[in-house]
Amino acid sequence: MRRKPEIFALGVVLLVLVAFPAGIFGYQAFRTASASVKVVDIIARTPEHGGFSPDRLSLRAGEPVRLRLSSPDVVHGFTIPGLGVNVDEIYPGKVVEVDVTPDKPGRYAFACTRWCGVDHWRMRGVIEVTGEAGAVLPMEQPPLFQQLGIDIDAMRHAALVTPDVRPSSGAGAALQARLPQDLTDSDQRRTVTPADAFQNLRADPANAALSDGDVWDLVAWAWLKDTPPAALARAEVLYARDCAACHGPDGKGKGPAGVNLPGMAKMDPAMPKGPADFTDPARMLAANDVLLQGKLLRGGMGTGMPEFGSLYSDAEQSAMIAYLRAFLFKP
Amino acid sequence: MRYALSEIPVIKRVLHSRWLQWSLTALTLLFFVLAIIAGLVGTPAGNRNFGIVFVWIVWWALLILLLVPFAGRLWCGVCPIPAPGEWLQRRALVQPRPGGKLYTLGKKWPKAFRNIWLQNAGFLGVALFSTVILTTPMATALVLLGFMIVAVGTSLIFERRTFCRYLCPVGGFIGLYSQVAPIELRVKDTAVCASHTEKTCYTGSDEGYGCPWLVFPGGLTNNTYCGLCTECLKTCTRDNIAIFVRQPGADLLKTTGHKLDEAYKGLIMLACAFIYSTVLIGPWGVLKETARSVGTPGWFAYAGIFLALNLAILPGLFWLAVRSGQWIGQSVKTSIGKLFSDYAAVLVPLGLTAWVAFSLSFVLINFSYAWSVLSDPLGWGWNLFGTVGLKWTPYIPGLVPYLQVPVMLIGLTAAIALALRTARQHGQPAWSALPVAAFCAAATVGLLGLYLA
Repeated sequence: MRRKPEIFALGVVLLVLVAFPAGIFGYQAFRTASASVKVVDIIARTPEHGGFSPDRLSLRAGEPVRLRLSSPDVVHGFTIPGLGVNVDEIYPGKVVEVDVTPDKPGRYAFACTRWCGVDHWRMRGVIEVTGEAGAVLPMEQPPLFQQLGIDIDAMRHAALVTPDVRPSSGAGAALQARLPQDLTDSDQRRTVTPADAFQNLRADPANAALSDGDVWDLVAWAWLKDTPPAALARAEVLYARDCAACHGPDGKGKGPAGVNLPGMAKMDPAMPKGPADFTDPARMLAANDVLLQGKLLRGGMGTGMPEFGSLYSDAEQSAMIAYLRAFLFKP
Repeated sequence: MRYALSEIPVIKRVLHSRWLQWSLTALTLLFFVLAIIAGLVGTPAGNRNFGIVFVWIVWWALLILLLVPFAGRLWCGVCPIPAPGEWLQRRALVQPRPGGKLYTLGKKWPKAFRNIWLQNAGFLGVALFSTVILTTPMATALVLLGFMIVAVGTSLIFERRTFCRYLCPVGGFIGLYSQVAPIELRVKDTAVCASHTEKTCYTGSDEGYGCPWLVFPGGLTNNTYCGLCTECLKTCTRDNIAIFVRQPGADLLKTTGHKLDEAYKGLIMLACAFIYSTVLIGPWGVLKETARSVGTPGWFAYAGIFLALNLAILPGLFWLAVRSGQWIGQSVKTSIGKLFSDYAAVLVPLGLTAWVAFSLSFVLINFSYAWSVLSDPLGWGWNLFGTVGLKWTPYIPGLVPYLQVPVMLIGLTAAIALALRTARQHGQPAWSALPVAAFCAAATVGLLGLYLA
């Protein structure tokens, strides 16, 4: 009499303790096996609590993947610049799905695009896309500042010459025939500082008839001539997203997130504390584009300047540098 | 002023069935297992994890808003945590062993710990880390698993449900607040018990086991330590035990038996209501961050303040209130220690309503997470019931303050009435209850300030 109910009850308890968990894992295994695309869950937390989880993914070129993005804390954004993925908002508790098929092997950085916390800029991850099984990822070429051996942390003198009025690229266009080869060629021009360019132009007897303002206009033209308006517009968007919080929308280095950053004072206490002022001609005209690109790519070691450049394409890096120049040079 | 609910034939049949407790426990065990699995291997995003949403929102809402205020310790009767240990002890799931025999070393719990001090300590331990436990599925799963492992171990070594009676951190406050419930399990006629020499309700019989909670039902005067497992209803050969509907809070009117450990439980619960209301739902994000940053200097400071508030500051303020009342009433007949424990009855309605008000604020706001989690309990992309797309929607957020204020005022009114009654019991003038009443009023104003600010 006693046995049958006990056996039934034991059967139910075993179902709960053994069959039920087995069913959960079995169902998941079945879903995974029958799914048409690989599904990868990425949890986005504030960097202080771990950032992206996982922050490294290994995928195969040509393999479609569905990324399921979610946040347990605050609103985050998500971008994989190299794969053209941009998600503006991941609200807590909401799952955002993005389908992506990387077609070329390589390393693709992904990042949060919303200022989610003090260390937002640290919220990064990498997707490694391989080709054939066992294939080694292609070596990346080191950035130009490393190729040229430029120490981007070294202290630099302020520009010895600065313009009295804001130089105009448009006015400089009328004088473009006077540009020497090293300023016409973009690759060469990147290694020259605008201040040096001004002094070289000024020293050229052929420009003796030009006023200092004309020469500065010519310099402005040299630095902005390669950046079309659309690229500048894109850089404006990136600047608002990544830079304005510290450097301020007006580039004066007074953004709310930069208030407590050490800036270059970390290297030299005599330097002003906080983010760089892009409207300061003494500072900006003494820096060449390679140096600025280096800062973008690697960040300012110890200054609080994050490295955003690794999220930008080459064209976006160039556009961003031109945008920074445009705080001094009228486009 | 009470009505024997269990005398209604259909209810009586159900309560006397041995399948009742087992079937409900098997159901809660199913949810428990799912919560553990979700915590261990599911998404770490708490709002998408069954372990967090169903334990800390759905179960908590059920417990503090419905079960405890209206059904006392009903949860303890169907709780899955002690079930495996109890089944091992009985070597049976449903049917009783002859004579209610148990298979355990049967050790008696040490006398020094036959109180709820360990439950108080356990609750403080969990509460101290609650900002992590409540938001981290893995932590929740490990805590629940830990409870179950300790419960099983205790069952194998000690007699009956020693874990529930003396160790369970949750059971401590459920017992305290179950005194408010409008139901009670009591004997119908104590004279029948007195003449019943076998006392099968305590010793067990072929019909069932002796009280798992180590309580003699014939001596029950309050709900605190009755786990509502209904075992005694089955083992009483005289049909002398019933479940009654009664005046809410009737247990609080008793004049004797107040203990210091229970008084401290009331103070700890009130202090935690304050701390949670400040840290978890207050506007100070830095506090929440500090409480979550376990091991940092900030967290140690938080832990120090947390423990000081629970163990010294709030009890100290309450002691001052009681001592002031003693001074005002010029009462020297009753010791301050006894007055402290007796006046602590006011903390039951005050604390329970504080917890109800606190819970309303986050349960109604977050309950909608349950619908999507139901369909995707592990956050693995399932959609079992088609509800995964239902968005987070706060329920009647504008109404929350209008619910919190009356709830807290009910608690304050009951607390002041109890303070006056306690003063009368000790032959003191009514105004000697003023300091304790002021303590209650200050606590209410403080909590409402936090909720409404």
